[in-house]
Amino acid sequence: MTGKIISLFLCVMMLAGCGPALAEDTRVTVTDMAGREITLDAPAERVVVLQPGDAEILYAIGAGDKVVGRGAYVDWPEEALEVPSVMSGYETNLEEIIALSPQAVIMTVMSQTEEQVKALEDAGIRVIVTDAQSLEDIYTCIALLGAVVGRNDEAKELAASMRAELAGIAAEAKALGSEGKTFYYEESPLQWGLWAGGSGIFFDDLCAMMGMKNIFGDLSGHNSVSEEQVLALNPDLIFTTTMYYGEGPAPDEEIASRAGWENVSAVKNGAILFDNTSSIARPGPRVVDAAELILELLRTLAAGNNAA
Amino acid sequence: MKDRGVIKELAVLIPALGTLAALVLCVCAGSVNIPAEKVLSTVWNGIWGRPQSGAEVSIILRVRLPRVLCAMLCGSALSLSGAAMQGLLRNPLADGSTLGVASGASLGAASAILLGIRFPGVPLAGTMVTAILFAFLSLAAILALAFAMDRSLSTHTIILIGIIYTMFVSSAMSLLVTFSGEKLRSITFWTMGSFSGADYPQVLILLGTLVVCGAGLVMLSPELNAFSGGEKNAAHLGVNVKAVRFIVLVLVSVMVGVCVSVGGSVAFVGLVVPHILRRLTGPDHRVLLPACVFGGAVFLMLCDLCARTLLSPVELPVGVVTSMIGAAVFVVVFYRTRKGVR
Repeated sequence: MTGKIISLFLCVMMLAGCGPALAEDTRVTVTDMAGREITLDAPAERVVVLQPGDAEILYAIGAGDKVVGRGAYVDWPEEALEVPSVMSGYETNLEEIIALSPQAVIMTVMSQTEEQVKALEDAGIRVIVTDAQSLEDIYTCIALLGAVVGRNDEAKELAASMRAELAGIAAEAKALGSEGKTFYYEESPLQWGLWAGGSGIFFDDLCAMMGMKNIFGDLSGHNSVSEEQVLALNPDLIFTTTMYYGEGPAPDEEIASRAGWENVSAVKNGAILFDNTSSIARPGPRVVDAAELILELLRTLAAGNNAA
Repeated sequence: MKDRGVIKELAVLIPALGTLAALVLCVCAGSVNIPAEKVLSTVWNGIWGRPQSGAEVSIILRVRLPRVLCAMLCGSALSLSGAAMQGLLRNPLADGSTLGVASGASLGAASAILLGIRFPGVPLAGTMVTAILFAFLSLAAILALAFAMDRSLSTHTIILIGIIYTMFVSSAMSLLVTFSGEKLRSITFWTMGSFSGADYPQVLILLGTLVVCGAGLVMLSPELNAFSGGEKNAAHLGVNVKAVRFIVLVLVSVMVGVCVSVGGSVAFVGLVVPHILRRLTGPDHRVLLPACVFGGAVFLMLCDLCARTLLSPVELPVGVVTSMIGAAVFVVVFYRTRKGVR
């Protein structure tokens, strides 16, 4: 929907540009992912971006030079670390953001309150709200951010290359026998109560492209789940994005060592993937890396099967 | 004479059987449906160490049974602590949590996570030791402050300082969370409570703590009864007031510290269970305390059952269930008591 609105608008823009009598109109109107319509006088030249996935999109479409401030958790690509960081999430500090005098602030639904948005808008700053959960949302988000910074062509290219790469990875995964495999996506370890990713999140979409089935596919989003269910549903693959601070066993080792889990297929076959590159958790261009990690695991498993 | 003996035996038998029934129910029911006879035969074979295999065996013996046992033992320990505190302080609102011991233990456990205190090879040992240590330190701090203000250690002073201390500790906790960055997620566990991931080493630690500290408290029942007439009265009855108070507070803080390190802060158990049971057993601690062992076990096992199954496959934090059921029951009991309905 949003994509359509943007493309419709772009057509109007192009037509307007062709008209010889019209003065050059640089205005950009977008509908952000909270459904708000926002008009910028011109594509933004100074942007503060709070969420890592959004920042990664900006850098990927060649708009890194327009980023004048980044959320504290933005750490990719490396050059982003040279940009001043501001507090994000619950600790969002409006003064810090306004001091950077951006034309636009890009934040997620989760990290902002209506009061914060209003305060920024009162300061003359446009606020663009993103909310990328599914894979399609990520493409929508890329088009949206492309329009905001005036990098529409690059955004289209990025999305197209991502689609192509993901399709290629999915085909290769299927050739390795990924179809019909079940997986469990763990987001919080047993010690603090299991949390699992369900349907409607991009990681689930990536696996679905490979023909794999989420054991908690009936649940949408992120849920605290029962350990008994994981054992009963017996996943073929386990993915974990649990935080790891280098103390004690790594999350994949910890899962393998859990009492009662020794009979789970994924544990028996060593099919546990721990992502410490943060690509699995971030809705941005690096979802391709996440898909690549899954493919890598499938390759290792297939090689093991052939050897045995 | 003979009849009274039979009644006494029955009085012990009924709660014991009730607890056993609740235990069986909680092991048979769960997020994954497994027929009761399969569950019971698996447990029976497991007790005798017969080799068994399969996903259901893992679910029953490795996940469900240790979890139910942990809930059972924590329920007993928390209820006993609550009843003992209420008796000792002659205050119906006293509990491990109002004294600040539970919050202190949580803070200790949370700091252990943040600082990465752990003993190699023994998961959770770092947080457990720190939680118990902080429970002790909290107690020492509260008692020292109370003693400095009021040498007789009057109950009101202790309760008041306990509440102030709890506030102080929760703000310290918020401070920790603010500085913890992404480690914050595991800290929320200490404030919500969960028996997810319970295992047999935890069961053994809880059992040992309950046997030692629980027996100690039950043995002190006559002294606790003497406290009900006031501290001076207790002294007149020949009770060494300060020694008894000290021992009770130490036993309580050990039990609360261990429970918190296993299941996080599970609210309301130590408050609600003794209140309900007191209406059945009367105020005599020689009856009330043993009743709390059974009543607390049943209460927390059933609450955890709700947490595990109500929204299956989604799980609730057990603290949510205890607080909701607990608060509702508490209001009813309180209302009836105030209305003079006995």
